[in-house]
Amino acid sequence: MRYGIYVVPAAIVLTLGSLACKPPKTAEQIKADTQRAFNEGYQAFKDGKPRATNPYVTNKEEPYMAQGWNDGWDKAKADQEAADKAAADKAAADAKAAADAKAAADRAAAEEAARKAAEAVKETVHMAAAKALMNIHFDFDKSDIKENDRPTLQHIADFMKAFPEAKVEIAGNCDERGTNEYNLALGNKRAAAALAYLKTLGVDEARFTTISYGKEKPLCTEANEACWSQNRRDEFKLK
Amino acid sequence: MPRFLIRTLLCVLAAAGLSAQQTEVVLTATSSTKLVLAMTAPKATGLDDASIAAEFTAVLRRDLDETGIIAVLQERLPVDGAPAKAWKEAGAQWLLSTRLTKAASGDLKLEASVLDTAAESGLFSRTYNANKVVPLRYLAHYLADDLVGRLTGEKGVASSRIVFVRQVSNGVKELFQIDRDGADLVQLTRNGSLTLSPTVAADGRLAYVTYKAGPPEIWGQRRKDGPHERLYPASGAGGMLSSPTWSPDGKRLAFVQGDRRGNSDIMVLDLATGRARRLTDSNGINTEPAWNPNGNQLAFTSDREGGPQVFLMQDDGSNLRRLTSEGLYNASPAWSPNGAMVAYVSRFEGKFDLFVYKLGEGKAYQITTGVSTSESPAWSPDERRLVFTSNRFGSSQLFTTDLSGRQIVRLSDLAGCQSPRWIRGR
Repeated sequence: MRYGIYVVPAAIVLTLGSLACKPPKTAEQIKADTQRAFNEGYQAFKDGKPRATNPYVTNKEEPYMAQGWNDGWDKAKADQEAADKAAADKAAADAKAAADAKAAADRAAAEEAARKAAEAVKETVHMAAAKALMNIHFDFDKSDIKENDRPTLQHIADFMKAFPEAKVEIAGNCDERGTNEYNLALGNKRAAAALAYLKTLGVDEARFTTISYGKEKPLCTEANEACWSQNRRDEFKLK
Repeated sequence: MPRFLIRTLLCVLAAAGLSAQQTEVVLTATSSTKLVLAMTAPKATGLDDASIAAEFTAVLRRDLDETGIIAVLQERLPVDGAPAKAWKEAGAQWLLSTRLTKAASGDLKLEASVLDTAAESGLFSRTYNANKVVPLRYLAHYLADDLVGRLTGEKGVASSRIVFVRQVSNGVKELFQIDRDGADLVQLTRNGSLTLSPTVAADGRLAYVTYKAGPPEIWGQRRKDGPHERLYPASGAGGMLSSPTWSPDGKRLAFVQGDRRGNSDIMVLDLATGRARRLTDSNGINTEPAWNPNGNQLAFTSDREGGPQVFLMQDDGSNLRRLTSEGLYNASPAWSPNGAMVAYVSRFEGKFDLFVYKLGEGKAYQITTGVSTSESPAWSPDERRLVFTSNRFGSSQLFTTDLSGRQIVRLSDLAGCQSPRWIRGR
């Protein structure tokens, strides 16, 4: 018992000493602790706790804990904001794509409608042309418009007036008799005769082109008048 | 005398036999004024008899026959090596001996000599050398041309060629060239469109009308062996264009331009300046210009007095006068190479025939007679014959005729031919 009085102080000393001599934490431990605090802070944000609830603020011994917690909370907040922004951007992009697609579809539909309308007009022009643009015929070595071809030319003039955009080529042709060159000139004369007549019917002559094929493009190749009379002709072609 | 009759009969029979062949003589008249030539069989080295017969002897015989001035003695020939006297008694005035050699390289050599059987003296001797790309036939042509030259002072035209238009398919016509004897057909254009009215300058430059762009354009060669380029219009469309015709010096091109009022006019394009000048006065159809050999006058067809007639004028459009007086349809004038004649076609009773107007006499002579239509006369370079197209065997084919119209020869059996032009070979 003689040493009993030392026990308490010794214990105190030992306790204090052991406290004072508590070994310093290693870098790994600090890193792990910081990560733990970081995770806690990250979770705290997700749980809706404000930044001021950092439990490590008072731990002056280990300031990295408070820092880690705050970093975790900040990171969680930044991640949240980035996610929100990405979602917003995607929504905007989706909306724009949808709008673009609709515009393109509208445009295609409009074009299709216009094309169909143009085709319908073209079809109408072609059908009208097929009816109106009939050949006219001439006597041998002549380029005078014959009496019975006047209604045909009137129909052509009516067609040109009904379709003010239409342009027509007049091609003069001859039968096989006579020289190649003279017949080219004669074909030119026949095309010109129709052009002059159509002008008198009030059609702008600039809407016609003329060409001569002479006797180079016969419709019929037999050597008789039935064939020759078909070949002595003006053809009218929609351009 | 009986002997002469027999010979004449044999000649007629020979002609009849020949007319059955591909290269037929439609009509042959033998004339006692022809020089009678006999050929000994060619002596040959390196060539077989069959190819000599087909590629040389037959070609030479036909060339000489078509000269119209040399008759080849074909029957009752003395044996080879017989004395000149024997050939003279057989009727030959000239005796032609030939030797053909084909070297290992393929090069050909022809040695030819002619003996005057009366004087018993040589009057022609020449050696022809040709490298292997030259066909044997050409040596026959060269020899025939020289024999004619020896006889008349002007080389013959056996080695000449014809440029013409031929229908390839519906609405497509192209230019072709063929040897004067109907061999060696060559296609000159591939426009895939109407290609018309060829004209060949003295140096071989071609010009023609093509519809390959739609409206007609005049294309041709600005320089010898040059590319085909557009000559007129320089840009845009030129209306109706036809009948380009080189002036004799090849510096100008006469052609026809039609307007939208139906007139067509003779124009002359100066190739150096590119400037075109109108010579006629827009009073209807004026077409088919044909230069005289001096290049200071043009013949052309005009309907200014009603139907088509042939007129003449200076190359500036002055001194206009009508040439043809008879008939209602006279066209397609072709001025002869020596300037004294104008060939043309005339329509009579629905048929077209060839006529030749002799300027010195002021008279026209009919060449072909009414069996069918004959068109587009063009002169041979030696002025002895005309090439033309005729439908006498159906489709339009190429023929030649002498100026009497008695010796008409079908040049080839190609169908759908038009607008022939006769040019000298190289």
